[in-house]
Amino acid sequence: MNEQEKNLQFEKYNNRTHFYGRLASIITLVMLIAAPFVMGAVLGAMPNMAAFGKGFLAIGIVWFVSCIAEYLIYTPMLGAGGGYLAFITGNLINMKIPCAVNARDIVGAKSGTPENEIISTLSIATASLVTILVLAVGVVLLIPLQPVLQTPALQPAFDNVVPALFGAMAYKYYRKNMKTAIWPLLVMSVLFILVPSLTGSTSFMIIPSGAIAIGIAYMRYRKNQKGAQ
Amino acid sequence: MSIISQLNRPAIFLICGIIIFFVAIVCVFFMVRAYRAGKAIGMDTTKMKRAVTSSATFAILPSIGILLGVIALSGSLGTPLPWLRLSVIGALHYETQVAEAAAEAVGLPGLSGTFMTAEAFTTIALLMSVCIMWGMVFSVFANKRYLKRLSSPKKGGGNGGAMGFGDTAMTAMFIGLVSAYIGSYIGSLVSGNGLFTFTGSWLPIAVVIVAGIVMAVFIWLAEKKNAAWVENFSIAGSMIVAMAAAVALGKFI
Repeated sequence: MNEQEKNLQFEKYNNRTHFYGRLASIITLVMLIAAPFVMGAVLGAMPNMAAFGKGFLAIGIVWFVSCIAEYLIYTPMLGAGGGYLAFITGNLINMKIPCAVNARDIVGAKSGTPENEIISTLSIATASLVTILVLAVGVVLLIPLQPVLQTPALQPAFDNVVPALFGAMAYKYYRKNMKTAIWPLLVMSVLFILVPSLTGSTSFMIIPSGAIAIGIAYMRYRKNQKGAQ
Repeated sequence: MSIISQLNRPAIFLICGIIIFFVAIVCVFFMVRAYRAGKAIGMDTTKMKRAVTSSATFAILPSIGILLGVIALSGSLGTPLPWLRLSVIGALHYETQVAEAAAEAVGLPGLSGTFMTAEAFTTIALLMSVCIMWGMVFSVFANKRYLKRLSSPKKGGGNGGAMGFGDTAMTAMFIGLVSAYIGSYIGSLVSGNGLFTFTGSWLPIAVVIVAGIVMAVFIWLAEKKNAAWVENFSIAGSMIVAMAAAVALGKFI
């Protein structure tokens, strides 16, 4: 097969990939949005749309920005097939991206080539299937453990899932960015101490806190750029 | 029937299971297509098989870490929803943050099985779906054009500077997010029961500290002891240890 035939064949495959990728994404999106309403019908309690709107304004905007950044950064690494699959199955930073890069390195595929596109799709599809399988087996094994997990003695553990997550993330993000982190942490602590009622709106406070952190990071970035010049 | 038992009803498992099954079929379909296309363009099948086996082995450890995330969330949201969210579209750190913010928005004092109601649960489930669907939405509308533009020859210079700060801004945004929550725990301890009374709960701060210390150990092992594989467990492992510490420390409250 000469190079021209190979490119033509790949172009045909890639065009169909966009069609199937879009179709799969749309079906998954519809099912994910419908699921809470179907669960609501089963449980006899539909989602509260006023609370949904309030929650979306508080947290949705932050994740909207984060999703744009992730999309722009990771799509070129994953290509068409890998990209659609990775955004459907999630766990990008902690699994799909390193997995695809690892497979590409092992095989020796170069970025932007048809080989890279194929390897990336194979890698992400395999990783997603492994996760689905491990989680399904784990969940089946979890069912008999439910009475144990619901004992009152274990409740402090489940009531502190979020502090546990933020403690781990704080170390990860703060350790190399202490000069950026100290200001939002200080300002937020003082604010919550002086206005304790704000704890009921912590998710809204992410916006000013994030703005402070980004502002300081930008000043430090500019300073470093000037220093480098 | 307790709320968690209701959230673990077979019907809820079935709803989540159907979606996960569909996504598994999509993965198999894409995998077979990619393999056939690789063969059609003359790729070495041994290389493709190596990519599959290396990815399968690579994915086992992080998948166990993700399973720990399902366990961590199952006490407040039941098992099926975290199973769905962490199998499709989500990631542990996103899901927990969005679920916490959503719980707050529906008027719960926090993400906890103790205060959960069926209405709060369905609202949280909807918020979790909508907040983290944008990567998929952009894929649908922009993937083809974006990838075409990337593969076409560039005119003039690049925008490396803007991309450089984009990365820093992402980190800064997470720092802001984490700081807001840690600040709220400090505020609750100091003024939760009245200004400067210092009688609020210290447990969340103790949990933050334990999780931070465990994360430091994971990073030390990964960076200084060349045990990069432990990074797969770093977030979920730190959370599980800190949550176990909450059980032990909770006895002193």
